[in-house]
Amino acid sequence: MKCPQKTAEGADLIIAYAAHSLAPADEAAFEHHLELCANCREMAAEQRTVWAVLDELPALPVSPDFDSRLYQRIAAEQQMAWWQRLLRAEWSWRPVVPLAAAGAVLIVAFLVKSSEPSVLQPQPAQPQLQIEQVERALDDMDMLKQAGVEATLEKGTPQEQI
Amino acid sequence: MNPEGVNSSTAQPSWAPRVNSDSAVEGSLEWDAELMLRVRDGDPGSFGLLLEKHRGPVIRFLYRMVQNRAVAEELAQETFLRVYKSKGSYEPTAKFTTWLFRIASHLALNWIRDGRNEKWQASLDAESPDGTAREVPDRGRIAEQELVYQAKLAEVREAIHSLPVQQRAAVMMHKYEEMAYTQIADVLGCSESAVKSLLFRAYESLRVRLAHLA
Repeated sequence: MKCPQKTAEGADLIIAYAAHSLAPADEAAFEHHLELCANCREMAAEQRTVWAVLDELPALPVSPDFDSRLYQRIAAEQQMAWWQRLLRAEWSWRPVVPLAAAGAVLIVAFLVKSSEPSVLQPQPAQPQLQIEQVERALDDMDMLKQAGVEATLEKGTPQEQI
Repeated sequence: MNPEGVNSSTAQPSWAPRVNSDSAVEGSLEWDAELMLRVRDGDPGSFGLLLEKHRGPVIRFLYRMVQNRAVAEELAQETFLRVYKSKGSYEPTAKFTTWLFRIASHLALNWIRDGRNEKWQASLDAESPDGTAREVPDRGRIAEQELVYQAKLAEVREAIHSLPVQQRAAVMMHKYEEMAYTQIADVLGCSESAVKSLLFRAYESLRVRLAHLA
């Protein structure tokens, strides 16, 4: 086996050996090399020491109220007013622009539509009224003509009066 | 549906140290994405299942990054809050844990880069090295052994804390979350070769500082 310290991946091999994660065949080959190479033997022993002392660091116990505090923060986040969330949120204006444009078009269309005159309502009584008025006017004219003729007969011809 | 989005099996050597390509794990990851899609569709119970499964790893990762329990839990709360708020736009284009740890590491790196880390450390020097109550001593361990143990832990924490933040994040994900190089690269937004370089330099620094603890 070529000395790992003379290869590009030698450090990986020694780190993996210290972590006991080499495949059995690779580990056996490397241990055979360690019997022959003092440099690798020393480096591997030091790396195994580092690995072992790192294992001695005690794991940190999680606070019993960790979850409840987190859920409180999530609930507080959800109860925030919409504009507060909007201000805090990390978002882009890009998707809002087409929506705003579509909304503006709808509003303009609504306003234009509502300003147009309303549809003409059918007025069935109006022609009838006009006919009656015309008939009444004709009747009135007939009465006036008749009255005028009678007056002329009583007082002479109109030429004479003039 | 393919929530993986990343082919992690092609670029790794035969001694690939992580197991993310195992079919069982892939099934689990797919289930996470399925749960998140249910959250998106209005099922709050699925969010509870995701929280139950991932809160521990996320808090531990953040704690090892910022080395303060209160800050780690606060950042974890923010992480899950962002997950919930993003439910409407969630698409399973990557592993759920990649997305989750990307949010968490982003928050942690920002917190550290803002310089708040130093302020916390300075204010806590007189109390506790990590802002937590000290671990309760094992009753079976005699006082001297306890002192030695606490000193060792402090040295390990200090060694981790001395790493540049990117190296620290890479080691935490590699060592404790057992992530593959490709997934770490996706979380940190860099190449797989950059991750290898980060890990090599980080472990080299840790060997120099911690090898005497053997």
